[in-house]
Amino acid sequence: MNDITTLMSHDHRSCDESFARAETAISRGKWDEGTAELEKFIAELETHFTAEESILFPRFESVTGMTEGPTKVMRGEHADMREAVERMRDAVSRRDKDDYAGEAETLLILMQQHNMKEENVLYPMCDAQLAGENLPPTLAKQLGREQAA
Amino acid sequence: MTTTADLSLSYEAAPTFSTPLRFFLTAPLFGALAGVVLLFVPDLLGSRWTPGALALTHLIAVGFMLNIMFGALFQILPVVAGAAIPNARIVAGIVHVGLATGVASLTWGLGAGSPPFLNAAVVLLGITFGVFLVAAGYGLRRTPIAQATPRDLRFALLGFGIAATLGMALAMILSGGLSLPLATVVKLHVGWAWLGGSGLLLAATSWVVVPMFQITPNYPARLTRYWALLTCAALVAWSAAVLAGFSLLEFILAIALAALSGAFAITTLRLQTRSRRSVPDNTTRAFQLAMSCMIAGLLCIVAAHRFDHDVWPVLAGILILHGGFVTAIVGMLYKIVPFLAWLHLSQAGMKAPNMKKLQPDGPIRKHLIAHAVALAVLLIAALSGSTLVVRTAGVLVMLEFGLLFANLMRVLGAYRIARSA
Repeated sequence: MNDITTLMSHDHRSCDESFARAETAISRGKWDEGTAELEKFIAELETHFTAEESILFPRFESVTGMTEGPTKVMRGEHADMREAVERMRDAVSRRDKDDYAGEAETLLILMQQHNMKEENVLYPMCDAQLAGENLPPTLAKQLGREQAA
Repeated sequence: MTTTADLSLSYEAAPTFSTPLRFFLTAPLFGALAGVVLLFVPDLLGSRWTPGALALTHLIAVGFMLNIMFGALFQILPVVAGAAIPNARIVAGIVHVGLATGVASLTWGLGAGSPPFLNAAVVLLGITFGVFLVAAGYGLRRTPIAQATPRDLRFALLGFGIAATLGMALAMILSGGLSLPLATVVKLHVGWAWLGGSGLLLAATSWVVVPMFQITPNYPARLTRYWALLTCAALVAWSAAVLAGFSLLEFILAIALAALSGAFAITTLRLQTRSRRSVPDNTTRAFQLAMSCMIAGLLCIVAAHRFDHDVWPVLAGILILHGGFVTAIVGMLYKIVPFLAWLHLSQAGMKAPNMKKLQPDGPIRKHLIAHAVALAVLLIAALSGSTLVVRTAGVLVMLEFGLLFANLMRVLGAYRIARSA
């Protein structure tokens, strides 16, 4: 993987699969397994957000001078998703399958429209602006190390 | 450095809820009107050339499909391509009114054979397309094209532009204002409207929507990289063969285009079998039906080339338009509309009910079943030619679009309740 778009898009897909594992377990009423899978998904999502918020976005902002631009929008959406994840946690703790399904659906679409913006617009901009920075290995390390932990 | 992408990603740049919604709520009314036409003109399915069949086709293709496609493009161009349409609200108002009056005029002109209505449709739809394409083109002019979807969206807009120009030429031929070979222009118009516009837009959207919402592996990179390019190239070559009258080459290229469309539909179905989501949702089901109908429709087109019977093109039209495009569009609509309601509520700082509270699964399922039954009865109607069956299909088509309208209004109702709470 040699560019930011490929690396980060790949990590999006990996988060999606974790999301689906939690959804599957909970839809089958396997609450313990579902809770564990949900926590794994949340950890993976948080790792991804951190890689962006602590490495990618600051570099983009300092190279382009845009602090009020797309990265600000993306940070705002991360906050929305963190709230949505909390509502999913809450539904699981109440063992409410229907509520979980509705909250999970809400997060899924929130997450996917966010991913579309990043994959089609922001990451290609990062690849163009940060070509000389050799960021992908740093990002990969952040995503991989924290995932393994 | 400033680019259009700076601001286009933000909520502030997204259009107001009413911008796409006005299109989404108008579209089912034209769909229901198609049911009314079937009910009162039951002999129209005899051939694709009857005035009633032409009117019906445009009620669905322009009145329903294009209405929703335009509404959706206002919403997704900023998200998928980083392209904000300038003055979206005003542009949407013009496009919405122009499209609605234009398609009404076109349908009446085609159905009743009225030159004044056809001429009015040319003016109204000409302005509508012109305004939309200029505004979308302006929004897209400086956005990155690194991914397949933004690039293919441009191709689709170009395809719609060509199809619309050919359509206007046809209306002028029919009203006596232009002298061109009718059969040739019809063929080109259908090819570009179906594949150059709608087909490319569906594919460009699917590259993103299927893997993301149904959590499947990505489409093969070779497909997303070359499919739209090959389809456009084959369409251009096919058009040249049609114009030059090389019928063997035209046939070979038509088969190539059918094969390309089939490859897209089959790949989509295969990806869906590898979805990580354990329970296929309504959108997934809708896509499965849509892709299966596309494949069946393509087989009918091949059969139409081989056997000279009026029923094959009619079956192909029903399968591709009603079974393929309408189903896929409906599937996506049920994701877009509740999400927009949710988004506008939460951005206004209100407590937004979750997606399934805004748009419960039960009524969606009811509508999809009604849609599938209407499709089956339409096919039987075309095969049997029975007036009674055609009229039944008409009632079912009215019912299905009525249910769609009611379901969309339900989301709007839930949105309004949450807003006033």
